[in-house]
Amino acid sequence: MSDWTEKDLLHWDQKIAQVAENLGLDWHPIDYEIIDYQEMLGAMAYVGLPTHYRHWSYGKEYERTHTLYNLGQTGLPYEMIINSNPSIAYLMRENALHTHILTMAHCIGHSDFFKNNRMFADTNPNNIIGSFKAAAKYVRELIEDPSIGIDKVEKILDAAHSIKYQVPRFPGIKYKTREEKLQIEKELIDELPSYTPNLEKVPLHPEYNVLKFISEHSKHLKEWERNLILIVEESSKYFIPQALTKIMNEGWACTIHYRIMNELNLPDNLYLPFIKLHNQVIRPHLGQINPYHLGYKLFKKLIDERGFEEAMMIRETQNDITFLRCYLDQEFMQDMNYFSYSFKKKAKGTTIDDITDDEGWEAVRDELIKNVGLNRIPTVFVDEIGKNNTLSLVHEHDGRDLDLAYARKAFDYVKILWGDEVRLATIVENEIWEF
Amino acid sequence: MSIFRKHKSIVDRAASDRMRHKKKIEKAIKESIRDVIAEESIIGQNGKKKIRIPVRGLKEYRFVYGNNENNKNVGSAGDHKIKRGQKIGPKRSDGARDQGTGKGSNEKGDHYYDVEVTLEELAEYLFGDLELPDLEKKQFRFISQESIKRKGYRFKGIRPRLSKKETLKRRIRRRKMAEKIGSHDPADNERFPFHQNDLKYHHLKPKIKENSSAVIFFLMDVSGSMSQERKYLARSFFFLLYQFLNHKYDKVEVVFISHSTDAARVTEDDFFKVGTHGGTIISSCLDLELNIIEKEFHPNSWNIYTFYCGDGENWTSDNEMCIELFKKIKKVNQLTGYCEINEHYSGMVDDTTEAIAPDGSPWPSFSAWKNEEMDNLWSKLDPICDNKFKKAMVGDTNHIWKAFKSLFGGKNNE
Repeated sequence: MSDWTEKDLLHWDQKIAQVAENLGLDWHPIDYEIIDYQEMLGAMAYVGLPTHYRHWSYGKEYERTHTLYNLGQTGLPYEMIINSNPSIAYLMRENALHTHILTMAHCIGHSDFFKNNRMFADTNPNNIIGSFKAAAKYVRELIEDPSIGIDKVEKILDAAHSIKYQVPRFPGIKYKTREEKLQIEKELIDELPSYTPNLEKVPLHPEYNVLKFISEHSKHLKEWERNLILIVEESSKYFIPQALTKIMNEGWACTIHYRIMNELNLPDNLYLPFIKLHNQVIRPHLGQINPYHLGYKLFKKLIDERGFEEAMMIRETQNDITFLRCYLDQEFMQDMNYFSYSFKKKAKGTTIDDITDDEGWEAVRDELIKNVGLNRIPTVFVDEIGKNNTLSLVHEHDGRDLDLAYARKAFDYVKILWGDEVRLATIVENEIWEF
Repeated sequence: MSIFRKHKSIVDRAASDRMRHKKKIEKAIKESIRDVIAEESIIGQNGKKKIRIPVRGLKEYRFVYGNNENNKNVGSAGDHKIKRGQKIGPKRSDGARDQGTGKGSNEKGDHYYDVEVTLEELAEYLFGDLELPDLEKKQFRFISQESIKRKGYRFKGIRPRLSKKETLKRRIRRRKMAEKIGSHDPADNERFPFHQNDLKYHHLKPKIKENSSAVIFFLMDVSGSMSQERKYLARSFFFLLYQFLNHKYDKVEVVFISHSTDAARVTEDDFFKVGTHGGTIISSCLDLELNIIEKEFHPNSWNIYTFYCGDGENWTSDNEMCIELFKKIKKVNQLTGYCEINEHYSGMVDDTTEAIAPDGSPWPSFSAWKNEEMDNLWSKLDPICDNKFKKAMVGDTNHIWKAFKSLFGGKNNE
């Protein structure tokens, strides 16, 4: 039995908004969908989007979360919010009132972050729902088209998903077609006579948007196949800013909900369970990085040291990488008791490499940054199209070797999309390795 | 002010993707089934045992970093005291805490599904579209059960079958009528007795459930030449067969016969567990089968199936006899299957040009391939092969399922 009515939600929503306004926050209006836990599982599977194209992997995600949830290994998230205008957030019907109040306060933090952080400047919150909806409709029509059907659609989607993160890692980098690139080169040559690029080379410079490049240059793709690849690229673009700011975004939202909750003058019967829940959310996860924990603690430190105004500025201008690079210090790292570890072939086990003492803390910090968001994903770029239309890909090796079994499969997927020969160069155990 | 919407979705939006995912799992199970069916651990298990099948092909492959020294992870140690070089448990993120937003988490998330299925479910996957061929409705049907069912009511009947309810209903109806036309007044407390016409009796109807009856003969060679591996393959084959029959048909008699130089009817347990010894005279078991058929299972009322499994290394002098007996058996059987176990077979039995092993040597001790030795049983059976007599060759566990399908492919295979 729930301990709340819609009236309660409206009541608290108003109060929360008041406090948030006083804090100087600036957020999109929020639409809350009150859903049950199964709908929540559904929403989670489709990363919160109310409209998303079909793919079996989302069914898998649903089953996985469902199983974990049933086994009690995971709770469902208290919050789930879409970067749209108005923001769409979900409240789970089964939750108690204090959870809803916390969630609503938390969502304002997220929405404020979406609206202000510059990583999100290029996202299009007004149209995002519509464009996902259009994509979903397009995919559905392909699936229903008797001359295409689900198998062919899946073949392309499976393949495109394998390189869905092989797109530019920072927002604001617009993909340029061959013609646009040539135009730029020509202008450069006019300005700088000493500049003599090889204009025959495709691409002229390394191209990091592998999806778009394939969609533009593959000689075998059908129109709808190109469009599918672009749909995948488009949805990646939506997630990139979120991946770049997971720690900050969660940290900010936790900071905001904590501040708001403390100013609401909650009665004990709401305040005590809230504190318990808050501490659960921001607790450290043994052997892992809990972004809620890290983000919250770091913002707290910054607010304590520099004041809320500066924190507001940080939430606007930084992303996870710069956030950690600029503001982590040894004392904080020690406080978090972080350590780096890796699997040792010789020892056939995992051992600790560095801890946050005087010699080690910078190494741990650097490894931490390497493990943040998109840094966890290897970068592969298009080097050139060679003889016989062979597509040459290069893995940008940063000391970490690829998982070869996975790389092999992903490579095969790229071949499906490209249609002609593909080559991939990487480094494995200090030697050049080619597929 | 925010808007609160009570979400009312009738459709489960993930349903179609889940269905698709499930289909993929099933397909993956079917694909890995070849590896699974011959697993030592499932042979000889009953249907309730759960088997874990690793399902492949459901991973979403991407470029990810490998699990090696250069790829370090970072984690929090909480309140624990730690030092360099300390060994820790496998703590690669378990994905459970990834809040499901998939925000660039590159965890391979080894979705190596271990799907747990029971043998029964496995059978369902395996045998979905297979069936015993030519199951005929035999002249004398096997009466599995004569159940008696109540069916309707009659005005006549014996006392014990009186339906009190119906009788009472009729009396009420009659009384209401009487009140309506005024012949009975409920106010004056007059008795309103039952009338003969009120009485109704249950009607009973015997129901005979007819069932086409089938008997399956399992014949297995347990001679000394049946090595551990061969015996294992044969056992696997029969085990699969047994599961198949159990799964598909409720009423199937199974007769187990094992033979070396002589044959014996054995129990199911002994059949699957017995050791090997002695020489090989295949005709012994065929003879025994014919005896049993004559005594117990008349072909007019039974669908008879026979499956033989052995290494084919029969005594040459016995081959003629075998062919004759096989012919006899074939005549009374719906289907006779001859399955030869030979580890030298590598799946090329149809390609007769390849009578030489890849290394240039002739296939050793492989009756079917010794072209110079034409009196091997395998090739001698050729003339009697048709859709009522099928043979299959099994070289390793991979072939079992193939052999199985060639025997029971049913409509799909014809």
